[in-house]
Amino acid sequence: MRGFHVYILLATAALALVFADRLSSYWMHVAIIAMFYGILASSWSLLAGYVGLFSLGHMAFASIGGYASGLLVQWYGIPIPLGMAAGVALCCALGGLIGWVCLRMSGPYLAIFTLGFAEIVRIILATEDDITSGMAGLHVQRLFDTPSRLPYFYTAFALLAVSLLLLGGMVRSRWGLFLRAIREDEQAASASGVAVARFRILAFAIASGFAGLAGGFYGHYIGILTPSLGGLDLMALLVVMTVIGGMERLPTAVGGAFVVEFLLEVLRGYGQWRLPLFGIVLLLTMRFARNGLLTPLWLKFVQLGEPQAAAAIAARDVPQKDPAQ
Amino acid sequence: MSGGAELVRGAALIKRFGGIVANDAVEFAVVAGDLVGLIGPNGSGKTTLINMLTGHLAPDGGDVVVRGREMTDQPAHVYAAMGVARTFQLTQLFGRMTVLENLLVPGLTRPHSTWQVAERRARDTLDFLKLAHLEQLHAKNLSGGQQKLLELGRCLMLEPAILFLDEPFAGVHPRLRDELIERILELHKAGRTFVVVDHDMESILRVSQRLVVMARGRKIADGPPPEVRTDQAVLAAYAGL
Amino acid sequence: MSWDYLFVQVANGAVIGIIYALIAVGVTLIFSILKIVNFAHGDLYMLGGYCAYYIITLLGIPPLAAMFLSMAAIFVLAIILERLLLTPLYDDATERKDEYGLIVTFGLAFFLRNAAVMAFGPYPLKPPSFIPGVQQLGGLTVTNDRLFAGGVGIVLILALLYFMHRTIWGQALDAVSQSRESAAIVGINAQRFNSFAFGIGAALAAAAGALIAPIFSLAPDMGVLPNIHAFVIVILGGMGSVLGSILAGLLLGEAENLFTAFFPDPTRALAYTNAFGLLVLMIVLVLRPQGFFGRRHLRME
Repeated sequence: MRGFHVYILLATAALALVFADRLSSYWMHVAIIAMFYGILASSWSLLAGYVGLFSLGHMAFASIGGYASGLLVQWYGIPIPLGMAAGVALCCALGGLIGWVCLRMSGPYLAIFTLGFAEIVRIILATEDDITSGMAGLHVQRLFDTPSRLPYFYTAFALLAVSLLLLGGMVRSRWGLFLRAIREDEQAASASGVAVARFRILAFAIASGFAGLAGGFYGHYIGILTPSLGGLDLMALLVVMTVIGGMERLPTAVGGAFVVEFLLEVLRGYGQWRLPLFGIVLLLTMRFARNGLLTPLWLKFVQLGEPQAAAAIAARDVPQKDPAQ
Repeated sequence: MSGGAELVRGAALIKRFGGIVANDAVEFAVVAGDLVGLIGPNGSGKTTLINMLTGHLAPDGGDVVVRGREMTDQPAHVYAAMGVARTFQLTQLFGRMTVLENLLVPGLTRPHSTWQVAERRARDTLDFLKLAHLEQLHAKNLSGGQQKLLELGRCLMLEPAILFLDEPFAGVHPRLRDELIERILELHKAGRTFVVVDHDMESILRVSQRLVVMARGRKIADGPPPEVRTDQAVLAAYAGL
Repeated sequence: MSWDYLFVQVANGAVIGIIYALIAVGVTLIFSILKIVNFAHGDLYMLGGYCAYYIITLLGIPPLAAMFLSMAAIFVLAIILERLLLTPLYDDATERKDEYGLIVTFGLAFFLRNAAVMAFGPYPLKPPSFIPGVQQLGGLTVTNDRLFAGGVGIVLILALLYFMHRTIWGQALDAVSQSRESAAIVGINAQRFNSFAFGIGAALAAAAGALIAPIFSLAPDMGVLPNIHAFVIVILGGMGSVLGSILAGLLLGEAENLFTAFFPDPTRALAYTNAFGLLVLMIVLVLRPQGFFGRRHLRME
């Protein structure tokens, strides 16, 4: 049956929603944070995995979205969803601008540039503390007044689902083909009629918008924001999550976020060892399984109920030779 | 010489790289129905000219006009949308996308295109190029000759009026090369215009009704092959190799 | 504002600049030979500092000798890391090498930083001075350590320039940076030079770490900012230009120091000093992604 795996995913999602209230508050928090990273990982994978733009500024946009929403709600008393929407809009605009500025930059230069951008944002947020409360943390109005985390769980779930629907839709459309073509060979893409500049800017704008969405939710969930949200540590963690899962596909990126976040909690007893451990896993993944650790699993999953699909996927990689000279 | 509408004109094109003048006030016009061979010793500026005529390189002087429209500062994809297609000296494909997807990309950039139509056209093109059995293969696994054919296919998906082929015969097995030449002649008969750059004189002569010769950044001859081949300036340029 | 104050600021800026130059030269060297940007460079600098610290405190070896031992240790470590992680870069089958180098060195940086927190603890450590005491200039003081760091830094840079320009190994390195194939034809084993280049770059960073440690003390994340500064410098001076890195390093060190000294709002000065460097970086990248001296291969003037 085609698309069998989709039914399984839907069933799992339904089960998760129905049984969510059985989770302890602690594990619910872990799940919510995992979904927060899921939104970030999938949107970053659009940028880095599909288009090939290795931006280190993604968490900075989450930070901008969070602070923008928090401050707007605080100053003008607007409803939180409106604040979050404003944060998203700001991040889209700013992301598009960064994408435009980066048009001529490739690989490492783009990474360094976005790293510089992220650091500048972090420094400004930390230093202008009369506005942002700097390192002490900005108090942000929470979405729900209840002591239970359940409404936040449902909200995060909804936001993740919407993000994946939108991103997935984009990736499966002709735009998805164009983005991948840009990553494979920009010149050939241009010669094929793809408006490369436009799509690079668009990808940045869209990805940054989702980052801003995640950041906005985060602020209104935790209730407090610090400039370290946009810092290198969390950005590096995001890269680790997405690459270990598989940065070239949305499901594996989200899967990577879930798995790493889950393991980080499970291994909490080992304290400081967790992070270096994931560093090693990342290095091993890059060295020996560059597509990501979850990618082979995902491919098998997609083939459920379709035995011919496996053969088709294997057939993609048979080298051809010209007849002997 | 055919007498159709003017498709692409390069007027007084100049391009400098550092201290070198790669193209020195080159005049080059292609008319619908032309079958042009562009030859010249290495470093004569042929690829630079093609890059400028297809929007991949901005000239330092002079203009490019496509179908009567001034193309200053337009990016390459606009040229592609207007029916100017090109292949590259070293084949440039979307390696980790399937053969079919490689053709879908240009197919879907066409205005008003749908997936259904684009897929059908892509499969028809693969049939024409005899690559249909390789549809699901990642492009990087194709042999050298097959890659050249696929690049030609990518051009065709743009429904081009004119195709610039940059060294399509380089390093290609003779049998596949003959295939390529046959396809080019078929397509020309069906109404497409070609400008072919290559060093393989034998092949070029089979696909030229008009021969343009460049040397050291300048156009030194432009006319029917028999005339050009006996032109003194041309012989001098090649003798100086 | 007195001349003495200005002089001290300029001197401090020069010292910082020399340290920056040491780090940046390593980045540029690695870029020109291995063709990748080493995101882990700041953490090699950090490890160099810690290594020297432990050599001094555990083995009782004097600070200057400890610095050289630390350089040697980090040199060896770097070669091991290069063999383990970077060999796919030399394999034609590896795709998107730029991206590989980026992610692997980024991941290495992540690992080293967090491993350092685990191994050395998060609290700052301070190794003993190279030369205790201060110099008096008018009414102001400069610590001996700063002068020593500047001096040794200059010596190391000059040694590197001499090595690159005058010795057969250095010239071979330049040959490899320009063309691996041609170098192979004349019998140079390019593979060995990759390891070598990575090792030397790391050793220079380690020296910088060891020199700066008594002045600013050690912390596991001390390499993050210098790493970013190294990128600013290498891009300003041009990827692959050793001289460019040195000049840009000195320039940035001075500019930052003077910026901090004269910024109108003292409470914000230090924070915005870093932002200033980054802004310069971003502007240069937009205007001229190859920097001001840039060429892809090593330049030895």
